[in-house]
Parts: sequence; structure tokens; C-alpha cells
Amino acid sequence: MNAPNPDTIEVRGVVLRRDPAREPCFMVVSLDSEMHEWPGMSEQARRERLHRHMNNEIGGLEIAAQCPSDFPDAPWELRMELARQCWDETRHVRLLYRRLVELGGRKGEFPVSNFEWRVTGMLDSLAARLAVQNRTFEAGQMDIVGKVVDDWRAAGDERTAEMLEGILADEIQHVRFANTWLRRLAQDDPRVLMKIAAAIRLLATVTAALAPEPGELNAVGTPIGDPRERVPMVNVDDRRLAAFTEDEIREVLRQAGFRALLPRSESGPRA
Amino acid sequence: MGMSVRARAAAIATFRFVMVRIMEMLARWVPSTPEMEVKVLFGEHIWEAAQAADALGHRAFELRSPLHFTLPAADGYQNVLDGLAGTSGTAERLRGFYDVLLPGLERHFRRYLEATDGLLDAPSVRVVEQILQRSTRMRDAYLALLREIPRLAEVDPAWHEEIARAEAAQLELIRVPPPGEASTPP
Repeated sequence: MNAPNPDTIEVRGVVLRRDPAREPCFMVVSLDSEMHEWPGMSEQARRERLHRHMNNEIGGLEIAAQCPSDFPDAPWELRMELARQCWDETRHVRLLYRRLVELGGRKGEFPVSNFEWRVTGMLDSLAARLAVQNRTFEAGQMDIVGKVVDDWRAAGDERTAEMLEGILADEIQHVRFANTWLRRLAQDDPRVLMKIAAAIRLLATVTAALAPEPGELNAVGTPIGDPRERVPMVNVDDRRLAAFTEDEIREVLRQAGFRALLPRSESGPRA
Repeated sequence: MGMSVRARAAAIATFRFVMVRIMEMLARWVPSTPEMEVKVLFGEHIWEAAQAADALGHRAFELRSPLHFTLPAADGYQNVLDGLAGTSGTAERLRGFYDVLLPGLERHFRRYLEATDGLLDAPSVRVVEQILQRSTRMRDAYLALLREIPRLAEVDPAWHEEIARAEAAQLELIRVPPPGEASTPP
């Protein structure tokens, strides 16, 4: 029998990277059903949103930081992009933490999940990590933040809305450099595309394995819903800025079931 | 008498080696350090180190070397770097990097500024001065964090004394080549 790998954990039959270090005040969970998400914009829901986002940014920092040390032979210019991303993510963590404290929250107030770290940490090429972390997770975050800015503003919290808009501008650059470099890396070595395809398959497998059961509630009684039914509005304008091609944007829209609105230029401000 | 172009290129390339190593060390520390505030500090300074390495790499090119030319530091200095990179405690990482390694590195940079011709080598001087400013900014951020959370830097005094002594013993950062070995770019 093989000894368990100290760098990995198993959740619902899928092998994932062991979590990065966290302070004891944080409760790290594996499933959506263990999270404390509330609907709406109550005070508690707002703090949980900020807390969850803050941990995601810590994860973004950890993933970006791991790359220069895991891939020392990567082109210097790409390592510079990742180093810059590290700085951006640290500013996001500080901003979100500052706002969380202003709203009466604290570190470790709610459970957190390191899903993105656990998945990307299993990928053994920089191209695969960029494809999953920057081009998929961060681009998804771009879609979500583009929408939630309006939620905060509608709730009368202009300060948080402005902060999120600033964070969104940084995230666009993280997605853009990944898209640019992935094209360059694939052009130089077409085998990169196979690595990326395998990474996307892994992500699909993990997402399916950890998906909630129909009708499942989270730890505070909020219906979770199927993640495939929770695809947010696609942030078409910012995806264009992030160097997605029109074909790629059409594909994202198709996957979102066309529930997304058309670009702002064609449909007015985002709802 | 200042330094030759070859000697200056070798110094700049060695400084670059050290800044890249620092960038990689901080990058490795981010996921393995539990405290959020320290992760954020290290994360910010990855970028400081990367920019320093980048500026040095461009300056090396101006000194008739390949772009981003890099030369390994002297063995003794590399041992100090390796020893610090291998620490796992937050306090040891903080004290070792901000209280020992950075001030020591500043000393080597200042020696370079004293040795080189400030007019002939003005572009290098600017790069090195900017790195010294970065170093001050990094140490200021560390000191601000300690004012906020003093317990973060509580280490065994004997450990601190040992690493400080090891660093101070490295009088030469730049490798002295054995006879016949080129110390400068091809």
C-alpha cells in the first residue's frame, strides 16, 4: 500500500493539493454546504461576502506566488507579471480586510474554502495554472464582481462598490496577461494546448465531484443550487479588455445559456 | 580609479542573482506562512525584489552583457541565503530577512556605490540607489507590522545572533573566480 502523499488530500474521491498555511482562527472547509453564505445584503451577508472575497484574494496571492518558485525557467517577463500580480492581490486583501473591519467583521468570522488553490496546485505546468487560475477562475471573478458592484451600490454602500471597481480593474490585467502569454506559449509549443485541455478536464472532474446535491442547503440554511445554474452574467466589456477574442466570448455566453446580457454598448448599463 | 566595465557588469549581475533569489524565497514563503498580515507583507515584497532584479538585468545589458545576465553570488553568501530560505517559522523568516539579510545587502550596495565612478557609472548608481530606497520601504513596512503585532518577531536570541554573525562574515558578495575562470560575461 502506498503511503499517503503529504502534499495532497482527498475529497469525495478526488485528489487535491493540501491547503496553504492558515491561522487557527480560520475554519477551512471543502464544500459549498459547509459555507455560511446568506442571500441578500443584510449586515451579516455583507461581512460574509467581504470575508469570502478576502480569502479568495489570499488564495490568488498564494497561487501567483507559488508559480515563480515552481517554474524558475519561465520567461522572465512572465515571472514579472506574476510578481506584479502578487502585489495586486496583497492590496486587495488589505482593502477587503479594512472594509470588513469597518463593518464590524473580523478575520476568521466565517468558514473559508481554498478550492482554487487545491485545484491549481495539482497542475504541473505554468500554462495549465494560468489557464485555470487566471483565465478561468479570475475571469469568472471578473464576471461576478462586475455584477456585485451594482448590488453594493443598490444597497447604499458606495464605498465598497468603489473598492470593488478598483479591484476589478486589476483583475482584468491578470486575465489579460494570462491570455496573452497562453497564446504565445501555445504558439511556441503546441503541446501546451494538451496540458491546458487536461487541466480543464481536471477542473470539470473536481467541480462535478464536489457539486451539491439537488436541493442541498448550506450550513446556515441557504439553498445552494447547482453551480451550473448559478452562472453569473458574463462581463463582456471587461472580457474584451482582458484579451478574450470575440469567439471566446461567444463561447462563454453559450455556456452561460445566453442568460447574460449583451455588451453594455449594445444594451446600456449592466442591470 | 573606478571599476572596469567587466567588474561593474559582474557586480550588477551578482546583485541580480541575489534579488531573484530573494524574490523566489519570499514567493515560497507566502503559502507556507500562516499569518495573513505576513503573507501580505511577503507578497508585496516579491514585487519589490522582482523590479530590482529587472532593473539590474537591463543595466547588465548596457554593460556589454546579455539581457538579464546573472552571476551566482559567492558560496558563503549563498549559504546564508539557503539557510534563511530553509527556515519555517514566521518570526525567524521576518527577523532573518528584514533585520539581517536586507541591512547586510544594503551594506554591499553602499560599498559598490563607494567603489564605482559616480559619473561614468551613473546609470548603475541610479539603479542601486533605487534598490536602497526599496529596501528602506520594505523594512519600514516590516517595522510598521511589528508595531501592530509585536509578537510576530519573537525569536530565540541565540538563533538571531547566529544568523547575524553568519551574514556579517560574508565580506564579499561577488564571487572571486579561480585562476583561468572568467568572472565576467562572455
